[in-house]
Amino acid sequence: MRMRFEKFCSHYHAMSFGKYFTSRFILRDGRDFLSRYQMHFLLLFSRQGKLRLQKWFLPLPERERKKIIRDMSTMVLARKPRTCNFLHWRDLKIVYKRYASLYFCCGLENQDNELLALEILHRYVELLDKYFGNVCELDIIFNFEKAYFILDEFLMGGEIQETSKQSIVKSIEASDMLQETMEEYMNKPAF
Amino acid sequence: MPAVSKGDGMRGLAVFISDIRNCKSKEAEIKRINKELANIRSKFKGDKALDGYSKKKYVCKLLFIFLLGHDIDFGHMEAVNLLSSNKYTEKQIGYLFISVLVNSNSELIRLINNAIKNDLSSRNPTFMCLALHCIANVGSREMAEAFAGEIPRILVAGDTMDSVKQSAALCLLRLYKTSPDLVLMGEWTSRVVHLLNDQHMGVVTAAISLITCLSQKNPDEFKTCVSLAVSRLSRIVSSASTDLQDYTYYFVPAPWLSCKLLRLLQCYPPPEDGAVKGRLVECLETILNKAQEPPKSKKVQHSNAKNAILFEAISLIIHYDSEPNLLVRACNQLGQFLQHRETNLRYLALESMCTLASSEFSHEAVKTHIETVINALKTERDVSVRQRAADLLYAMCDRSNAKQIVAEMLSYLETADYSIREEMVLKVAILAEKYAVDYSWYVDTILNLIRIAGDYVSEEVWYRVIQIVINRDDVQGYAAKTVFEALQAPACHENMVKVGGYILGEFGNLIAGDPRSSPLVQFNLLHSKFHLCSVPTRALLLSAYIKFINLFPETKSTIQEVLRSDSQIRNSDVELQQRAVEYLKLSSIASTDVLATVLEEMPPFPERESSILAKLKKKKGPGAVSVNELEEGKREGGELNGGGERGGDNSAIAASNASTPSPSADLLGLRTGLPVSAAPPTAGSLLVDVFSEAGVNDDGFLRDLEPPTESSDSLLAEGPGDSDSTPPPPPSVVSEEPAPPLPESDELLNKFVCKNNGVLFENQLLQIGIKSEYRQNLGRMYLFYGNKTSVQFVTFTTTVTCPGELQSHLNVQAKPVEPLIEGGAQVQQVINIESLTDFFEAPLLNIKFRYGGALQNLTLKLPVTINKFFQPTEMASHDFFQRWKQLSQPQQEAQKIFKANHGMDTEVLKAKLLGLGMALLENVDPNPENFVCAGVIQSKAQQVGSLLRLEPNAQAQSGEQMYRLTVRSSKDTVSKRLCELLAEQF
Repeated sequence: MRMRFEKFCSHYHAMSFGKYFTSRFILRDGRDFLSRYQMHFLLLFSRQGKLRLQKWFLPLPERERKKIIRDMSTMVLARKPRTCNFLHWRDLKIVYKRYASLYFCCGLENQDNELLALEILHRYVELLDKYFGNVCELDIIFNFEKAYFILDEFLMGGEIQETSKQSIVKSIEASDMLQETMEEYMNKPAF
Repeated sequence: MPAVSKGDGMRGLAVFISDIRNCKSKEAEIKRINKELANIRSKFKGDKALDGYSKKKYVCKLLFIFLLGHDIDFGHMEAVNLLSSNKYTEKQIGYLFISVLVNSNSELIRLINNAIKNDLSSRNPTFMCLALHCIANVGSREMAEAFAGEIPRILVAGDTMDSVKQSAALCLLRLYKTSPDLVLMGEWTSRVVHLLNDQHMGVVTAAISLITCLSQKNPDEFKTCVSLAVSRLSRIVSSASTDLQDYTYYFVPAPWLSCKLLRLLQCYPPPEDGAVKGRLVECLETILNKAQEPPKSKKVQHSNAKNAILFEAISLIIHYDSEPNLLVRACNQLGQFLQHRETNLRYLALESMCTLASSEFSHEAVKTHIETVINALKTERDVSVRQRAADLLYAMCDRSNAKQIVAEMLSYLETADYSIREEMVLKVAILAEKYAVDYSWYVDTILNLIRIAGDYVSEEVWYRVIQIVINRDDVQGYAAKTVFEALQAPACHENMVKVGGYILGEFGNLIAGDPRSSPLVQFNLLHSKFHLCSVPTRALLLSAYIKFINLFPETKSTIQEVLRSDSQIRNSDVELQQRAVEYLKLSSIASTDVLATVLEEMPPFPERESSILAKLKKKKGPGAVSVNELEEGKREGGELNGGGERGGDNSAIAASNASTPSPSADLLGLRTGLPVSAAPPTAGSLLVDVFSEAGVNDDGFLRDLEPPTESSDSLLAEGPGDSDSTPPPPPSVVSEEPAPPLPESDELLNKFVCKNNGVLFENQLLQIGIKSEYRQNLGRMYLFYGNKTSVQFVTFTTTVTCPGELQSHLNVQAKPVEPLIEGGAQVQQVINIESLTDFFEAPLLNIKFRYGGALQNLTLKLPVTINKFFQPTEMASHDFFQRWKQLSQPQQEAQKIFKANHGMDTEVLKAKLLGLGMALLENVDPNPENFVCAGVIQSKAQQVGSLLRLEPNAQAQSGEQMYRLTVRSSKDTVSKRLCELLAEQF
């Protein structure tokens, strides 16, 4: 019978310590010593929650990506107007901003600068706007690959590569110059 | 340009996208996609070789389908083929597909790597950039193996275009993060640092991210970057808003670069070079000044960029934590933001202040904003801002404002957003514990917590309150009373039932004296909740019931009836059934003794890091609370312990014993050994107000139930004449034989031959200090037992015995000692000693107690030696030699020649001889080097005169320092004993 009570008390001891030390999903696995400033992902989704662009700066399993996309759109879309643009989610800071019908949303590491991230989103919108001319959601839907190319000129591996609007636009123009002429393509069959 | 962008189009792709958009339902969309996938598959498999354009178009369609959220399991090979196309758009789409969709198919990676290698060596900057982007996007180990050597060369080569340099820097950073072992430091590293001086701002912006990361890992190798970064920063900060052309963002010069420079500096301590440091402080001041200037633009982008730099500068100031002036300015600036109309700024100010609160320079400055922060908690419309306010309150909490903050957080909990309740509960629980001035407040707070937010009170929180109540007997009665009252609410949370069940099961006896909370009332109250509870709670309640049977025999029949009912003994849940059966049997078979032993009060829990704190750390992620908490704890611990050196002299012991109990009651286990008074007066007063008639002392009911045992050991335990005033020690202790004297007990005894005060014994748990005084043949000794742990010692008993003949030579009376020593506390015991005649052995002191359930048993020799009863006798030279001659019989003299153990310092020798208790006679011995002493040993039966002569010989023949000690006494045995004792002292 003594056993029962040993069990009874060891139950309390064991439960109170250590039970919660199971590991949970950590985005930064294995990178602890390195800078905590990197952007982890950038998502663009519509007010209806339709994903328009996803950029992952760290390798993540597909399942995790889907989970993040789902969490982000539910969290961000649930926010009331005129609330602040920042959220905490797991170990990350989430910075988002709505432009017309599109939400721009990125996940930052803990020590990163939220205000600056907000301006990264803004600068990206400016670049899209400059390229497409009064950009709207449709431009991004139909020319999604361009949206990715522009983003690649601006950010790389979650770090900012070039901040000058002129430089970025110039380099996209340069690559467009390399493209074949319109006529060449118009002659090709549709399927 | 729009013409180009819209018109390079793959018409087929545009058609497909609009088809998808026109789909009315998910099913229609899937149908359209499947049709398209089938089409593409057949094209890829078809005999006819596809041209580049078609390949590109189909790959792009696959990409689109993938981005819609569908799985793609083919097309990779076609995409890889596109990489080697010489048409830019085809190559670009190929790379995009690989970047988005690549898996670690090694066959494919080899092909991709091949294409990348070709593009890197093409010297076409556009192609090179595409290849570098692909490496950075995929960032796999295979790619790192293939390119980690090549990319540094591209980065520092003189002829590399600026745009390629930018890509190469960030690509290398990405590989370094994935596989730091593959990126070898080398000649290129020093040249990378100098990219900070590059004329092209874009190159600096990209390179600095790489440098920051490398510096974090190899700070010494990169420390030259500090001065370069400071001068670059200084140039940017002092530049006019238009100087930097396109790198000026809404009138703010190079905000991204500035922030990155400030971050790089956060990898290092403040610069040692005075000039560099001066320049940096100037920069930081300029940034702080600019925050006060009127904005150059009304646009939010302007203020965001400007404030981004400001916050980064504040981070650096906090990182340095060495410039009080800047820290206070930063705090004031953040204080302004707390009331800013921009929600974002209020949010960030709250967040940033959390870190400021942990700096000793700014903690007080942060505290001045408490009202604003509390107001934010109450009035902010945005839950994330409220959460930051709660975080800040947690961070700024200290002993001075804990009650206010805990109260505010508790009241906020009632309306708090569900998403943050659990964290809030943890924080309240931690603060209540950390800053508990009295434990009744702590218990009230936690029970309130359960009442207000029971669903969010995790197991850790209620485990913790039980641990604390078990470990602190001064709060047990109060806890029982409060939890009893709380349970009377018609609807109370299951967690309350758990706490109530446990506490009443252990300590219900403390409130049972009040008819309103008589045993049966307690039981009925608990049992009224039983049927609403989950299985684990019911199991706990069953255990509480069996404990009740032990505490209150009068409830036995009622409880047995409950246990016997079908709903218990035939419960479908195995655990409940087993408990019911076993408890029923236990209660009917076991004798009262056995029951009392089995159901004894829970032993104290070992002190560890608070489980709640661990949970909060877990919740907040590493680094969020941990370091500060722990260090703060250590710091405070240091201060508290610093005052009284525990191993020191008796005055320190006496002082710490006499000092008022410290109000700090640390429950988190972060601090060790703070002095708390042994007999907690609060325990009584807390109980007395309602239950004055109930037993106040902790061994109330349980003890009374035990049959009085007449054990031979318990007779030993008491000093003569004191036996009826001491309560019989609990059986578990009595059953243990006293341990034999410790091997070192003789050595410990010898330490006290020449002194009366000091530390007799010390191990990891216990410290025993001694203070003693002797008059004539009487002595009084004070023993101070100090608990060095933070856990109670229970059933603490001491026994002093005089083995064998000593009983007739020495009379020793020990007063009873408190049976319980709180963690960090000290209790005192008085021992009266009477010398009946001369004696040789020392009395034995046996100490027994339970620490965390384990019995400790040790025996020491009490330092009562014959010389303690010396009465010094002053005499002149003439008298001395006359008496010396009188004691000339051979057996009256004892002599020893021995090596010096402790050097031959005259002053030390004199002090020791004085401590011996004899008179040290000056100018008696013709040899000034020698010492002579005289004294009379007092005892009830006789007086024994003794003379002593100590002759140091600094250069004996052997080259060693020797002494010759001669003692002559009127009684031969005394000479011998004194000689033995003293030979160990010099």
